[in-house]
Amino acid sequence: MENSDSSRQFRKVLVANRGEIAVRIIQGLREMGIGTVAVYSEIDRTALHVLTADEAVCIGPAPAAESYLKGDRIIAAALETGAEAIHPGYGFLSENGPFSAAVEAAGLVFIGPTAETMAIMGDKLSSRRRMIAAGVPVVPGTEEAVTDPAEAVAVAERIGYPVLLKASAGGGGKGMRVVRSSGEMAAALRQTRGEAGASFANDAVFVEKYIESPKHIEVQVLGDGRGEVIHLFERECSVQRRHQKVIEESPSPSLTPALRDRICAAAVQTARAVSYRGAGTVEFILAPGGEFFFLEMNTRLQVEHPVTEMVTGVDLVRAMVLIAQGQGLCYRQEDLRQHGWALEFRLYAEDPARNFAPSIGRIESLTVPQGPGVRLDTGIYEGFDVPIHYDPMLAKLIVWAENRDLAIDRARRVLGEFILHGPVHNLPFHAWALEQPAFRDGSYTTHFVSEHFDPADWQPRLDAGQTDALIAATALFEANRRDARLATPPAGDECAPGNWRLNALRQMTNTK
Amino acid sequence: MWMKKRYILKLADDQVTAEVARREAETQVRLGDAEPLGIDAVPVMGGRALSVRLGNRQHLVHLTGMDRKGTVAATLDGRPFRLTVMDELKAQALESLGDAGGSGTILADIPGLVIEIRVRPGQQVHQGEPVIVVEAMKMQNELGARVSGVVREIPVKVGQSVNPGDPLVVIEPDPGG
Repeated sequence: MENSDSSRQFRKVLVANRGEIAVRIIQGLREMGIGTVAVYSEIDRTALHVLTADEAVCIGPAPAAESYLKGDRIIAAALETGAEAIHPGYGFLSENGPFSAAVEAAGLVFIGPTAETMAIMGDKLSSRRRMIAAGVPVVPGTEEAVTDPAEAVAVAERIGYPVLLKASAGGGGKGMRVVRSSGEMAAALRQTRGEAGASFANDAVFVEKYIESPKHIEVQVLGDGRGEVIHLFERECSVQRRHQKVIEESPSPSLTPALRDRICAAAVQTARAVSYRGAGTVEFILAPGGEFFFLEMNTRLQVEHPVTEMVTGVDLVRAMVLIAQGQGLCYRQEDLRQHGWALEFRLYAEDPARNFAPSIGRIESLTVPQGPGVRLDTGIYEGFDVPIHYDPMLAKLIVWAENRDLAIDRARRVLGEFILHGPVHNLPFHAWALEQPAFRDGSYTTHFVSEHFDPADWQPRLDAGQTDALIAATALFEANRRDARLATPPAGDECAPGNWRLNALRQMTNTK
Repeated sequence: MWMKKRYILKLADDQVTAEVARREAETQVRLGDAEPLGIDAVPVMGGRALSVRLGNRQHLVHLTGMDRKGTVAATLDGRPFRLTVMDELKAQALESLGDAGGSGTILADIPGLVIEIRVRPGQQVHQGEPVIVVEAMKMQNELGARVSGVVREIPVKVGQSVNPGDPLVVIEPDPGG
């Protein structure tokens, strides 16, 4: 609560990230009166986070391995600019223990947990063991890595098929395989270990019960690093594609008040077991019967943190900075409430009809929705060329209303007002999801997309009037574009998309 | 006097002919065999979009030319589409050269980085066989041969950036294939 002797006020903080999360963190720092330093790769010179920051330092070429993952250059940039702390955001170096240790060794503050916490939580087997010791429910299975197929079969027969083989160092849906009978075990174990060794340089694989029709529930926690931990309730993130979340909400429609109390208490227990420092997320699987199991802990600010901010009113970036300044938690558990309902939609430059393949290019036009209950966390602007080197997430649209039904109604309105022209994107996917009965009644599971989404037939058909307008406008556009090129000899690259558009559209007015 | 031009448009699997007719301040568009429609299209938002009225119904349309093949990015009432548009003469010329879709040349469909080439010139490949891998935004996209035949040319190298429409692998289809 109150300042201890070791507390201080940062005057300047470096943000070791890019895109919407770097912008979000800079916004939080600025509200606290703290100076901001952005880092950027050569291709990100014109990215929004650079334009938003007070100072910006180039840390290398476009590939992340040569820039955003170069811890030594980031630390050098902090020292050069006189920043006292580094906020890592999510992804990149955010859960890299050696980086956190190097930051502290350089006399700077890492806004996040200790390297030791990250080492425990970054490995599925070690975090599993730690949680079993702390009395947190984990999915039934092995505590140690398994190499012998006969042993794996014995475990599977004890806990019951189907089981999941899981790489201890895995993540993002990689290094996992479902086994439904003893006959499949030997081959599956060999393949999973091979994949794990190749992808994560660690072939440790363990066995756990495979939960059918699971829901993904996670709990936001804050810890002061001295054993004090509070939770900020749950988020449900069961709408996923390729094992990546696309829609998140808080509260979860799947929890009763009693179940919420138990799952949030288990999350606090988890974070206390490692004397957690900073903001973290404890992920659980919720089985259809209401049983829940610890999955893993993410030791960083999550992509979906805004839904928690909307329903609790807490600024998580500010809370992280206050903890890093040594000021402790600044909230008491009993002061925190869930108020209303929030939904988050991740805006990806990808084509849902083509297996969500990335589609990139210039943001030609952008009209963002406004009005009551709308928040947009964005890393793009009109005219921005989306680089090919990083994650295709462009922005996050967050919608809040008094209850879930009203939040869904508001989201339909807001998605309809959002115009992004340029790359193909997944806003129509979100509009589709909102219309699905399994989403509306909250019964959806992590299989929602595979069970309900048909890439060949998902968009509402264009009606005759819309089709005519689309075809007619495109034909007119082509006619005017050709006229424009005949009238003015091409200067430079006539095929630059912007030139076509401007010339063609300007000539399109037929009322002179 | 009406000035008329005809265009062939493709949207997903549908193809339609559109005739644009203009006379002074008046524009009509005729789609396929339907009656000509009076269209009122006015640039809005500083020239970034068109307000299109067909009858009295209002639509907001954004249009951007993407490449030399006539691909147009369109956003109609917030929904993104990709169309191709070509004037009728050019479409006919292409048709007489043989169906462009049956050609063995594999073109990049997204901007990205060539990370793996799995074939060599002179090599026999089968339809559907993966021949080249292009990476964009942390995702690897395998592109397969569209026809069975012999690899004639690979105009790109591993590590090279490519744009949509760039030829990646030229395959000479097997005779009679």
